Amino acid sequence: MPSMEEYAKQPREQRMQRLTRTADELAGATKSQSEAVLSRRPDAKNWAAKEVVCHLRDAEEAFGGRFEQILAMDVDPKLGGASADRIADERQYLRNDTAEALAAFRQRRRETLEVFGKLTAAQWDKGGIHPVRGRITLDGFLTLMAWHDDNHLDQLRRALDGKA
Amino acid sequence: MPFSYYARLTRSQQAVYRKSDEIAEVRLPRPAALHPAVSALTAALATEDRAQVQRATERLIRDLTDAFGVPPVQVEVLAARPHAKWGELHGLYTVERGKPPRIQLWMRTAKQRRVVAFRTYLRTLLHEVGHHLDYALLRLRESYHTQGFYQRESSLFHQLVVEPRTPWPSVEAWFHRTPDERLARLASMPGQVAGVLGERSERALARRPAAGAWAPVEIVCHLRDTEETFGARFEAILGMDEPALPEVGPADRWAAERQYLRHDAALALAHFRRRRGESLETLVALSPSDWQRGGEHPARGRLSIDMLVALMAWHDDNHLEQLTRAGEGQP
Repeated sequence: MPSMEEYAKQPREQRMQRLTRTADELAGATKSQSEAVLSRRPDAKNWAAKEVVCHLRDAEEAFGGRFEQILAMDVDPKLGGASADRIADERQYLRNDTAEALAAFRQRRRETLEVFGKLTAAQWDKGGIHPVRGRITLDGFLTLMAWHDDNHLDQLRRALDGKA
Repeated sequence: MPFSYYARLTRSQQAVYRKSDEIAEVRLPRPAALHPAVSALTAALATEDRAQVQRATERLIRDLTDAFGVPPVQVEVLAARPHAKWGELHGLYTVERGKPPRIQLWMRTAKQRRVVAFRTYLRTLLHEVGHHLDYALLRLRESYHTQGFYQRESSLFHQLVVEPRTPWPSVEAWFHRTPDERLARLASMPGQVAGVLGERSERALARRPAAGAWAPVEIVCHLRDTEETFGARFEAILGMDEPALPEVGPADRWAAERQYLRHDAALALAHFRRRRGESLETLVALSPSDWQRGGEHPARGRLSIDMLVALMAWHDDNHLEQLTRAGEGQP
């Protein structure tokens, strides 16, 4: 699994390809898994597979909101950070249907790729101030998302195997 | 708590009683389809003509039995109520072997012989229909006057009679009220939502009153998630100078994507309550000049915190009204 630094060195097209594959990879991993397995947390702290899918769905929407804000402002906005665990709890991820959540992620991801596909060179360099990572450009977000996908796919596969 | 006569019932009768008591509502598939028959009954009673009231009553009862897919009943509208020491008889439901069930209703009071008020007449009608539904729809061996029975009668009444409601203040009107008034409105919302949800079952809370209209649980989830967005907007406005406020949702997309219908309403309300508490904590600490800070919304233009709080108060009113209607099966 490439690190953030390694992803940052990859051509943009390659990182976009990574983003394009994720929905199918999630579908492949979750297909024909029972509801019990999809909902099973490997331990008290770690997410079940369906929670990972819901997180990706909602993170995709949050990424979209950030891009909108960055593109609309002349200065770098301060980007808010929500607690993923709090959101998982509040939005009751464990009660979600995995296939429906995946379909919603697939649609959100398509929209993200559409936004990326239309960016000008100058827009790729626009950025915002991330609460943890400091200034991050839209190009940096593409890197972050590629790594984020890998990270959560790996987490999802482990969860399906009952591992944290 | 069962009524006192419960103790006098046999065990098998008590089982029927308990079953009746557990069912708090019967839902019409499309209540609005029966509203013309209700209007016709109102008009018929106003004429004080027994034949017209008979026809209108027959029509409404037939519409009800058709809607529930149960056998029809014979209907007889009579003039003055019979009375004795025990009081007046308003209506009567009887079943005799080999004959269709029969509902008798009296349209005039016993002593004054005045035409019964519409709401009283309709309640009596629904009470007698309720007995028929106990046997024909709910398949109860007996039809007892349980609390559940009266709740079912009431639920039918509210599906058939749409109460005129007081219109709530506009965003503009809220904007002209003091910050304290607006904050008080926001503070009362979680308790009001809890009051509407009451003890309703998960199934009842997930029931949409019409296609395209939210179920109670979806409204609570919407309030919870909107509160999160309001919080993020306050944070952006207070942390930056005139930030862009991204458009969120739309609300129907959230409801579908986040699968609100699968959520637990009580848990969603607890989380809304916590988010609302956090919003209020932020707002009460603001200076008057902070209230004038704002950001640019792509659709609504510049939004100050002052305006956002007015919007929240209006949003609460709007969704409390919607929640109340959804709880009564009205879109």
